[in-house]
Parts: sequence; structure tokens; C-alpha cells
Amino acid sequence: MKELMTLYFPLGSDKMTTVRLATGGLSALAGLSLDESEDCKVCVTESLLLLMHRGYAAARVVFSLEDGLLVHIAGEGEGEGAPAEEDEISFALLTALNDTVRTEQKNGKLAEIVFRFGEKA
Amino acid sequence: MNEAELFAKYRATGDVNLRNEIVERYFYVAEILAKKFVGRGVEYDDLLQIASLALIKGVERFDETKGVRFTTYITPTIAGEIKNYFRDRARLVHLPRKVVELKSGARRAAEEIAAETGKPASVGEIASRLGVGEEEVIRAMEAGGVVSLDRPAGDDESGSFYDLLPDASDDYEKLEQRDEVAAALATLSGDERKMVSLRFGEELSQSETARRMGVSQMYVSRMERKVLQKLKENLKKSMA
Repeated sequence: MKELMTLYFPLGSDKMTTVRLATGGLSALAGLSLDESEDCKVCVTESLLLLMHRGYAAARVVFSLEDGLLVHIAGEGEGEGAPAEEDEISFALLTALNDTVRTEQKNGKLAEIVFRFGEKA
Repeated sequence: MNEAELFAKYRATGDVNLRNEIVERYFYVAEILAKKFVGRGVEYDDLLQIASLALIKGVERFDETKGVRFTTYITPTIAGEIKNYFRDRARLVHLPRKVVELKSGARRAAEEIAAETGKPASVGEIASRLGVGEEEVIRAMEAGGVVSLDRPAGDDESGSFYDLLPDASDDYEKLEQRDEVAAALATLSGDERKMVSLRFGEELSQSETARRMGVSQMYVSRMERKVLQKLKENLKKSMA
């Protein structure tokens, strides 16, 4: 596994465009197709929204090369918020766009989302 | 009536009013998903229309006896329809020609590469085929967002972006400017005002202005420089 880039930033909707642009660039580095790149951007945004709704103060997004582009998105700090109504749609959208999505819980709360786009996804 | 009951009743009766009630209850899903795909070169309203049609089709196809919630079922259905639309339709974008050309070129190159290799094209391959940088390809793909001028400008939906555009023929601004110019002209001498009137009111040449005023063209030229400088300073003072 080759780590391409790690982004660490305070969670907020004002950061989404920057993260989407970075995701687009890294998708290119990983050799993803344009459609995969667009879907990857949606998945990254949705994952960050899910973490944001759970009250995490910051997020760490790790992009690695491993059979395509592997993306780990984790909430940092103590999540305090309750899941939003839209979350069900976000989860359904994530799995609709990528069937490798898996989630990790911490203290009974969603803490990490992992998915892969590319060769073996 | 809960979700399962509502669907069961609709299946049993085929009542269009019930179908409409279901569609209205879940219309927010179509709205949310349409927003999530904004920025790929298709207007939000068009995306919402596609999502709404997918929602109506989904209501007909959903099987409430399978134990899946309707939102879980309809989300991938709507997402799929929107993605199909992106694939099938030309992108209706209003972007600088260079970006539009690069965008369509990238799409064409992607299809060509996919046809040749049997695999989806990477951004690197597309960039190499088009002879541009990868970043340019990414930027062109990113630059898909079109904002309608009728879209609400704020959260309270009280005004549109169009309302915020300055009016090119703002009468109040004209009135204000006229007052300022009149005040600046009042500081000029009689000859100076006459020269301004002939040169900038009647738009005469310096020679013609000189002839009408009975002076040399050189005199008008010097006076013009002096007057313009004076007006500029007066206007600056009045606007400070």
C-alpha cells in the first residue's frame, strides 16, 4: 500500500470543494476513469457529511494506492451529534456508487468509512 | 398511515391520489439526490426532473413486502437514473469555449480509449491523448457548475441572483453623476464652459471649437488639458 496523501482539517461544509478538488487530482494519480473519479468525489463528500452530522470536530482523509484508490475517512475527536435524517440516504448513495464501502464504529458510533475505487473495486 | 400500509393500500386500490401522496412524501429524497449531483454540468432543475421521474417509477416498482425501507430502495434507483442521464446526454453547459471544448474532447477521448483498450480511460491517458496536462482535464471536468440567475441568492429565498446584478442603466446613479458634473462645471470660467460645451457636448474637433471661439487650436488644446485636470480634481473632491 502506498500512501498518496493525508488531509487533516476541521470539519465544515466550506471545506468540501477543496476536498473534492483534491480527490479529483488524486483519482487522476491513481488512474481512475472520469466516472469513477466523479463517484469517488461524491463518496468522499457523503462520508464527511456523515461524520459532520455525528459532531466530529475534524476529519482525517487518507488516500492510498492499493488496487486502485483506497480512501480512509475518519472522524477526529469526540462525536457529539445525533445522526441526521438524511444519513440513510447518504449511506444508500455510498453503497449505490461503490460496493466496497465498509464502516467502523467507535463507542457505538460511526467513526470511519473506507472504500476503494479502481482496478478491483 | 405508515409506509408499508400506504404502499399496500396503493397496490390494492391503484388510487392515483395515493400514489401522489407517496411521491409527495418522498419528494425530498429526489431533491437531496439532485443536489448531490450538481456541478457535473447539468442544471439542478434538470436533475430534479430526472430524479422525480425516477421516484415515480420507483413507487410503481417498489415491493413493500421485502422488508426494505423505501428510501433505501429509491436512493440507488434515482442515483442510477441520474448517472445514466450523464452518460447519455450531451452536457448542457455554458462555460468558456476552451473549457467546453476540453470537456467534450475529454469525453470523446475517454470513449475512444475505452473502445481501443476495452478498459475505462484514466485521466492520465485522456490528458496524454489530448496533449494537455492532467490538471487541465480535471479542472475542465470540475468546471461544470452552472448557476441559474433565478436561483435564490440567500437562505431565506427572498431574492434571486438576478436581483443582485447591478443595473447597467441605473437612473439614480445617472442622476447622481449629473449633479456631480454640474457642480464641477460651475467652477469653470465662461470660456472654459463654452469650450467644454463645444468639445464634449457637440463633440466638435479642437480646430472647429477654436474657429467658433475665435482662438487658435493650440489655445483650445491647452485649455482642454487644464479644464480636464480641474474637473478631475473637483470630481475627486466631491466623491471623497
